[in-house]
Amino acid sequence: MTDIAVAQSEAASVPKGWQPHIVALVCNWCSYAGADMAGTTRLEYPAAVRMVRLPCTGRMSPLMILKAFEQGADGVLVSGCHPGDCHYVQGNLVARRRFTIFRSLMDFIGIDLRRLHFAWVSAAEGHKWARVVTEVTAAVTEAGPLPSFEGAGEWEGIELPALTGDGPQELDAAALDAVGSHLRQAASEVLTTGRAGVVIGYGAGSLPDRTVPVFITEAADSDRLVWGDGCRNNLAVYAHKMLETHERVAVVAKTCDLRAVASLIREGQVGRDRVVVIGVQCGGIHDGGELAGKCWTCTGDPHPFCDLVVTAEGVHDSGQDPSEAVLDLPDARDEQIAYLESLPHAERWRFWQRQFNRCLRCYACRAACPLCYCTSCIADKHRPQWISTAIDNPGNSAWNIIRALHLAGRCSGCDECVRACPADIRLDLINRKLTLEVERQYGKIGLDPEQKSALVDFRMEDGEEFIL
Amino acid sequence: MASSWKLSEVQLREWLGGLLDANDVVAPVLEDGVLLFRRISSAEEAVIEASGKTRWSPKEFLFPRSEALYRYNFTGETVQLEDPPAPTKHLVLFGVRSCDAAGIVRLDEIFLSGARDRLYAARRENTTVVSTACAAADAECFCTAVGGSPMGEEGSDVQLVPLDEGWLLRVFTDTGRDLVSGATDGWTAATASDGKRLSELEKEISEQIERSQVKREWSKILEEGFESPAWDRLAQHCLGCGVCAYVCPSCSCFDMNHEANAFSGEQCRSWDACTFALFTRHASGHNPRATRQERYRQRVLHKFAFREEDEPFRCVGCGRCVALCPAGLDIANAVVAAVEAIREEGADGAR
Repeated sequence: MTDIAVAQSEAASVPKGWQPHIVALVCNWCSYAGADMAGTTRLEYPAAVRMVRLPCTGRMSPLMILKAFEQGADGVLVSGCHPGDCHYVQGNLVARRRFTIFRSLMDFIGIDLRRLHFAWVSAAEGHKWARVVTEVTAAVTEAGPLPSFEGAGEWEGIELPALTGDGPQELDAAALDAVGSHLRQAASEVLTTGRAGVVIGYGAGSLPDRTVPVFITEAADSDRLVWGDGCRNNLAVYAHKMLETHERVAVVAKTCDLRAVASLIREGQVGRDRVVVIGVQCGGIHDGGELAGKCWTCTGDPHPFCDLVVTAEGVHDSGQDPSEAVLDLPDARDEQIAYLESLPHAERWRFWQRQFNRCLRCYACRAACPLCYCTSCIADKHRPQWISTAIDNPGNSAWNIIRALHLAGRCSGCDECVRACPADIRLDLINRKLTLEVERQYGKIGLDPEQKSALVDFRMEDGEEFIL
Repeated sequence: MASSWKLSEVQLREWLGGLLDANDVVAPVLEDGVLLFRRISSAEEAVIEASGKTRWSPKEFLFPRSEALYRYNFTGETVQLEDPPAPTKHLVLFGVRSCDAAGIVRLDEIFLSGARDRLYAARRENTTVVSTACAAADAECFCTAVGGSPMGEEGSDVQLVPLDEGWLLRVFTDTGRDLVSGATDGWTAATASDGKRLSELEKEISEQIERSQVKREWSKILEEGFESPAWDRLAQHCLGCGVCAYVCPSCSCFDMNHEANAFSGEQCRSWDACTFALFTRHASGHNPRATRQERYRQRVLHKFAFREEDEPFRCVGCGRCVALCPAGLDIANAVVAAVEAIREEGADGAR
């Protein structure tokens, strides 16, 4: 559909006499007082806005915006203090980054950005408040009623461009055997020399071309380790649990698994000196006979971040400075993302609502993610309950959006969530989109354990071109 | 009236198309590359093949992922209560596999015996099951190891058996007879040789499934070995998600939640899974099944051990949990391994 056709079809569905519902989340210290000022100054502005007073924009979770949409708001306005004026010094600066990324995610899944606005309004800016509300109301009115959260029904769907790339250097059976045998040798050495008490690796699975995670504690058991294109899991997910019973753990890792280890170290979940990374040369991972999406542009070579490097030639210490290393891989999915972004919002919304409709809320995405390590997840909390437990489009949308957002700037791109998803929801596109956005705004995400993740950090000069 | 016919592919589609007039028809369809059960609006949409399973079972059409048990509205000072809408149209579950049909009988045992579930019963009474027997087994299939069969009749009102050309249609129940009545003009009655083909197919596929038989007497061994350290080893790599339960044709656990705002709300029943920590966590914070291993043991024992002598296993052997487990756990192998360990090490591992 063309933009014009979509605009027409949306306009056609506007009920007669429809007035937009807009929720304004405002900071107590500035915008709320600014609105008061507008009132005492007897300024007139549209009455479509319902205000919710909060202590700071830094306290405003994207969940609140999602809840507003879920409960029927057609638009949301977030308003707080100008940068530098925060009552809590930096709340609005952290919020600015968070909302920059959240906004791009909402745009990506098909929320028309005319519905989502951000403004700095101080306590003295009554006139600005009136102007902002007038502008926001006009924009939301133009966007029309929020499209419903529901399955796309009879809709032919979107054909995404096929993934292309050279893929990793293929390893033939002999090379895979050599890598496997060197891996077993490395594991055995690690256990014999006491570099680690357990090696987390891959063992033979019960189905053809599948493996299962195994935890090897005796050097003699190292021969249980296998290597091949069925070594799909990111084993970093087990590091934390194994550290409960072992002083040091060794993790067998593919190139795509490394960033997760780096993030766990950066976030203080795993000490660098307590983990031995065994990087193994990889010929690409297959799932159902097809090369996994992440592999198309990967070389498969072990990375300097590893402690031990295992290739078909042998085992050697990495010997490079990991802090200078960046995993700078292009991504085959960027083209699919660009294609989705070229479609009108209504099409994108349908695309994602159909994907989210399939979500069973089994939380396999969360369970398989090495970086979803919270002992208590927001989705499991019900006082207050931000994410509906009902397994339907509104609840599923909220879950999938917030999961992605909690990983923005942290996601390692290992695609475990996609692999684990029984419904083939394209979480990889969402994760990659957010990584692209974070890197565009705040710079490259590297492997340096000292680097803070982008959304818990801020700079005074961060971009804010979208803020009114 | 005969009770089995031979149909060509065209006749099958015609019949399916005719069913759409008076029924809601749910059949496998391909959505974004995933084979799923969906309501169809034309016979062409349905993917009716000789083998291959949908990603998850059709149970959600009888036991929805989420449903309102009642709704309410506040208007002024009064509260209006509202029952959820009852099904208005007859439902045909078309093209479910034999394992899925058996799964429906397992659900019936939970929801219709004892305290009869009003909402489930209303849907179930209004449903006809047309199953499709399998002409080949998938790698994860193990129906024959748990007492099922790729040609199994349990739970089916009508069964379609793939022949080299076309389909053999068998009617098992009165409900099934109602579904074919009026459509049989031009259908060829099946002959004795078609019946022979049936047993050939059954033998062929059973040979493809190489899993060891789960013996009925193992239930007792498994239950006695509740404290066996084997469980800890077997499920060390369980990640604690709910894929296994949610794709399972017979898992029936649910949770209740209140979904409401200031104006209206509903008591909502949603799927739940024993592999989640929240499933058993008390309000005090105490969790009687504190570890993933204990929770996985619960799942295995509920499928294979906690039953009366004359009751079937609660696992129908579709193998979906095996194929989709992100950590590669395999319930059929776990049962064999647990029984072996309990026999060797004693029920508590002390031997």
